[in-house]
Amino acid sequence: MRTVYLAIKYTALLLWSSFVVFPFLWAFSTSFKTANAVTSGPKWIPWLQFEPSLQGWRSLFGGVGGTDISGPYLNSVIVTFSASLISLTLGTLAAYGLSRFQFRAGPIRNADITFFFISQRIMPPIVLAIPFFLMLRQLGLLDSLAGLVLVYIALLMPIAVWVMVDFFNNIPRELDEMAWLDGCSPVTTFFRVILPNSLPGLVVAGMFCVIFGWNDFFFAFTLTFTQTQLLPVAIVSLNSSVTPWWSLSASALISIAPLVLLAFVVERFLSRGGLAGAIR
Amino acid sequence: MSLKRTLLLSSALCVSGGAGFAISEEVGIGPDIPGMCSFEAIGAKDYSGRSLNIITHAIPVIGEPTALHADHFQRLTGANVNVVHVPFGDLFQRIMIPFQTGQAAYDVLFYGSLWVGDFHSYLAEIPAEFQENPEMQAVTATYRDVATWGDRMLQFTMDGDRHYLKYRLDIFENEEIQARFREEMGRDLTIPATWEEYNEVAIFFSGWDWDGSGETNYGSAEVVARDDLMFSAFISRAAPYAKHPDVTGGFFFDLESMEPLINTPGWVRGLERFIEARAAFPPGGTNFGLGDEIFSFGGGQTLMSYSWDDAFIQAMQEDSPIRNQVGAAMLPGATEVWNRMTGEWDTFDEPNRAAYITWGWTSAVAEASQNKDMAFDYLCFFANGANTNHDLQVGRFGVNPYREAHFDASFWSENMGWEDATAQSYVETLAAIDGHHNRVFDLRVPGVGQFMSSLAAGVSEAMAGQRSAQEALDSVADEWRQIVERIGADRVRDAYANVVALEDAR
Amino acid sequence: MYRQKYVFLLPGLLVLVAIIIFPLLFTVRVSFSSWDVFNPGLDYIGGRNYARMWADTRYWEALGRLSVLAGATVLIQYVLGFALALLVWGDVRAKRFFRVLFLIPMMTTPVIMSVIWRTIFHESLGPLNGFLRAAGLSAQPWLSDATLAFVSVMIVEIWQWTPFMFLLLLAGLMSLPREPYLAAQIDGAGPVRTFFQVTFPMMAAISVGAILIRLIEASKIMETVYVMTSGGPGTATETSSYYIYIRGLRDFQLGYSASLSLTYLIIMIISLTIIAKVMIRLLVKDRT
Repeated sequence: MRTVYLAIKYTALLLWSSFVVFPFLWAFSTSFKTANAVTSGPKWIPWLQFEPSLQGWRSLFGGVGGTDISGPYLNSVIVTFSASLISLTLGTLAAYGLSRFQFRAGPIRNADITFFFISQRIMPPIVLAIPFFLMLRQLGLLDSLAGLVLVYIALLMPIAVWVMVDFFNNIPRELDEMAWLDGCSPVTTFFRVILPNSLPGLVVAGMFCVIFGWNDFFFAFTLTFTQTQLLPVAIVSLNSSVTPWWSLSASALISIAPLVLLAFVVERFLSRGGLAGAIR
Repeated sequence: MSLKRTLLLSSALCVSGGAGFAISEEVGIGPDIPGMCSFEAIGAKDYSGRSLNIITHAIPVIGEPTALHADHFQRLTGANVNVVHVPFGDLFQRIMIPFQTGQAAYDVLFYGSLWVGDFHSYLAEIPAEFQENPEMQAVTATYRDVATWGDRMLQFTMDGDRHYLKYRLDIFENEEIQARFREEMGRDLTIPATWEEYNEVAIFFSGWDWDGSGETNYGSAEVVARDDLMFSAFISRAAPYAKHPDVTGGFFFDLESMEPLINTPGWVRGLERFIEARAAFPPGGTNFGLGDEIFSFGGGQTLMSYSWDDAFIQAMQEDSPIRNQVGAAMLPGATEVWNRMTGEWDTFDEPNRAAYITWGWTSAVAEASQNKDMAFDYLCFFANGANTNHDLQVGRFGVNPYREAHFDASFWSENMGWEDATAQSYVETLAAIDGHHNRVFDLRVPGVGQFMSSLAAGVSEAMAGQRSAQEALDSVADEWRQIVERIGADRVRDAYANVVALEDAR
Repeated sequence: MYRQKYVFLLPGLLVLVAIIIFPLLFTVRVSFSSWDVFNPGLDYIGGRNYARMWADTRYWEALGRLSVLAGATVLIQYVLGFALALLVWGDVRAKRFFRVLFLIPMMTTPVIMSVIWRTIFHESLGPLNGFLRAAGLSAQPWLSDATLAFVSVMIVEIWQWTPFMFLLLLAGLMSLPREPYLAAQIDGAGPVRTFFQVTFPMMAAISVGAILIRLIEASKIMETVYVMTSGGPGTATETSSYYIYIRGLRDFQLGYSASLSLTYLIIMIISLTIIAKVMIRLLVKDRT
C-alpha cells in the first residue's frame, strides 16, 4: 500500500516536472539551430541530429542581424524593481489599514475598498493605452522610465494589496491590541510589531509584483518610442515576418534568469516555514 | 570592432573633407555609386548634435537594413540615430497612436504601403529635389504609383513587392514524375496557369514523398492564419475571377455606388478554390503564417507557394536545401471571369491574370517631424545605388526589385550565383507583373485595417467550415457597408478613386 | 488614535486613484464617441457604440468562449496546483528542488513563451507531433482543429499559471496549525477523510481568493491566442480581450472598443461578485 502510494507520488512529481521542463529543453535545443535545422523537422540533439550554431545567442548581444538586449535588460530591472518597491510599500500600508480598521463612506465599506483595488486588474489593458499615452504626454513622461514606473504602480499595487490584506487578516489582532495596551500608537505598532513579522507575506507579494512588472509587454510597448526600451519589447523586435525560432528561444531562456533567482529566494522563505512563522 | 574603428576613422576623414567614397567598401556595402545620396555626398553633411528617430519592422525583414544604414548614416553625419523595431502586427498602432494624439514621436517611418489611406494626412510630401533625383526617377512606374496619394508623392520607395508563384523546378522537370502525372491525370504536367490547375497539381502532389527525402511532401503552402496577412493571399486567389480586364470602376467596391463587390460571384469562386486547396496543405497548413509558409516551401516540404519575394530569395540562399531548384511565375489566372457589368461569367481562352501589387514596405517622413531635412537624407541614403544593390542580395532583408535596373538577370546570376534559368524566370516574372495591364492594388482607403480584418474573419470562418463561402462573404459585405457608413461614403470614394485611377490607367 | 488609520489607507488609495482616474473617465467618455482611425477626437454620438455592441454576435460569442476557457483552466489549475502543493508539502525527496522548479513557468514572459509554444505545437516541425510519430501514433492537428486549438491554448495557460495556485496554496498549507491534525489522528481518520474534514475547510478562504484573482487574470488572455492561433480556426479560439484588441488596436476603433471594454468590466465585476459570494457560502460556511 505504502509503496503504491510512493510510486504514484513520485510518478506524479516526475510527470509534472517533465511538463514544466519540456518547453525549456526544447527552447534550449532550438536556440542552437539555424533555419535549415528548423525546417528539417523536430530535432533535439546538437551535432548528432543537427549542426549547432551560436547565431541565435549572438543576435541578442548586438551580433549581425540582432539587437543588443543589455540596455533594455537594465531598464527592465530599474522599472520593475522601483515600481514593485513603491507598490509594495503603499500596498502594504493600505492593506494593513483595511485589515485592522473600519472605513466607511456612505455605503462603501472595507470589503468594497479592497475590491476596488483588485478590480483595477480586471480592465483589459488595450483601451487604457490611449488615455495613459495622453496622460504621460501631459506630464512629459512619454518614452521615459519614470512614466513606465508610474503606470506600473497602478498595475502592481492591486496585487500587493490583495496578498497583504489576506496575510494581515491571518495575523491575530491580539498582537496589535497587546501593543496598543503597551501604549504604542497604530503607526508604531505597525512598524515595531507587525512589519517585522510580515516578511513572508512581503516576499510573496513582492514576487508577484516583480513577475507581473517584468513580464508586461503591452504598456512597455505602447508608452515608449525609441529611447526607453524594456526587455520584452527588445526581444520581440526580433520577431519578424519569419519568426527566428533560434533567437527567440535564446531570449526566452535569458529573460527568465533573474526571476529564477527570485524563485530560489521565495522557496527559502517557504522552507524555513517563514510564511507560517509569523502567523502562529 | 574593426568595423567600428574603420567607420570612425572614415567619418573623421569625411568631416575633414577627405575622400568618403571608399567607406562603402570598407563597411561591406560594395563600391559607392555616385549620386545625390551616395556615401560621399552624405559624408559631406554634418548633422552632429541632432537626433533622428526611426520606427521600423522587426529584425531582419526591413528592420535589419534600417539599422545597418542608420548606423552608417550616424557615423557619416555625426547625427544620433535611434531605431525601434516592431513586429508587423503591432506596427500600425505604434505609429498611429502618436499620430492621433499629436505627438512627434518618430521622424522616419517604415510601414506597409497599404496604410497610406490612414496615414496620408500625417505624412510630409517628398521634396521636389528628391523626386527629381535620377535614382528616384529610375523607380518603375508601378512603384511610383504605389508611393503616390492623389497627386502627391508621400512615400519614399525603397522596396518593391508583389505576389507571385514559386514552384519546385526540379520536380516539374523530373521526367519520371511527369510520366506519373500524365498517367494518373490524363494531361501533361505544366506550371499551373489557372487556380483550378494549381489546386489539381497541388492535391496530386500531396501526401507522398516526391523528393526522396523520406518525409511526406505536400502540394501547397499558403498564408492562412487569420490575422497574419491572410487577406493578401485571398486577394491573390480571387483577383483573376473578379478583376475583369475590360471592366473599370472598381475591384473592391463599385466606385459609383460604393456598394461592396466582395460577395459577387468572382470573389466567391476565389474563396471556394481557396477552401478546396486545403486538401493540399501540409499538416497545420490552415494555421500557417508567412514565416511558416517560407519554412515549408524553403525547407522542401511543399511543391508550390505564392506570396512575396522573401520566400523565393530565401529558397535561393547559399545554404538552402533547394537552391537553384526554384522557379517563379505569375500568379495563376482564371478562364472564367465574372463581369459585373453584364452580370455574367465571361470565358477566356487565354487565362485572365491579375497582377496584384500586394502592399509592400515603404517609408515616409512624418509631417510633424522637426528634422525633415535629415530624415529625407536618411531615406535617400537608404535607397542609394550602393545600399540598394547590397540589400537586394541579402534575402532576409526583404528589399526587392523596384528600379528598372533590378530586372536584369545578370545581376542575380553574377552577384548571387543563381543559375541563368532561375535568374531569368525570376526577372521575367517580376517584369511581367510590373508592366501588366490588369493591375490590382490594395484597398488604400481610410480604415483599410477594418476592411481587411473583417475580410480575414469571414474568409477564416469559411475555411474552418463554419459557413459557406457565399454566406461568409455576404456577411463581410454587410460589415463593409457599415464601415463605409461610419467613415462616410464620400470619404471612402474619394480615397478609393485614387486606387481605381491607377488600376484603370492601363 | 483611530485617526491614524487614514495614514495607512490613504497614501496607496490616493496614488492609485490619481493614476487611474483619468484613464478610466477618459475611457467612459471615449465610449460615447466615434473615435476611430479616420476620425480622432471626442465627438458625442450617444449610445450608438453600445447599440452596435448589442448586435455584435462575435463579441458575445467571444465572451461565452472566454467563460468556458477561463473557468476550465482556472479549475484545472486549482486542482493541479493543490495536488502539487500537497505533494511537496508532505515528505518528499528533493523537496526544495521541486518547489523551485514548479514556480518557474510563472516567471516567463507570456508574449515570448507563446512563440515557443507555437513552435512546440507546430504540426510538421514541432516536437509534439515528432513524439507522436515516433511512438507510432498519428500526428494531431494541434492548432488547426477547432477543439484541439482550444485545448492547446488551455495547455499553455495551465503550464504558465498553475504555479500561481501552487505557490499560494503551498504557502497556505504551511501556515496551517498542527492541532486539528493531531485531533484527526486520534479519531483514527484516514488521509482522505483528514483532507476533506481538516485541510480543505481550513484552506477554503485562501482558495477563494486565489481562484478569484486567477479568474481575473485568465480572462485577460490575449497574447497566447494571438500568437498561437490568431483566434482561429475561424473564430474557435477568439476570446473577449483578443476581440477587443482586434477592434481597438488592429482596427483602431477606439470608441467602439472602449464600449466593449467597459461592458466587459461591468460584466466581470458582477459575475466575480456573484462567484465570490457563492464560493464563500459553499466553502467557507464554517468560518465567519
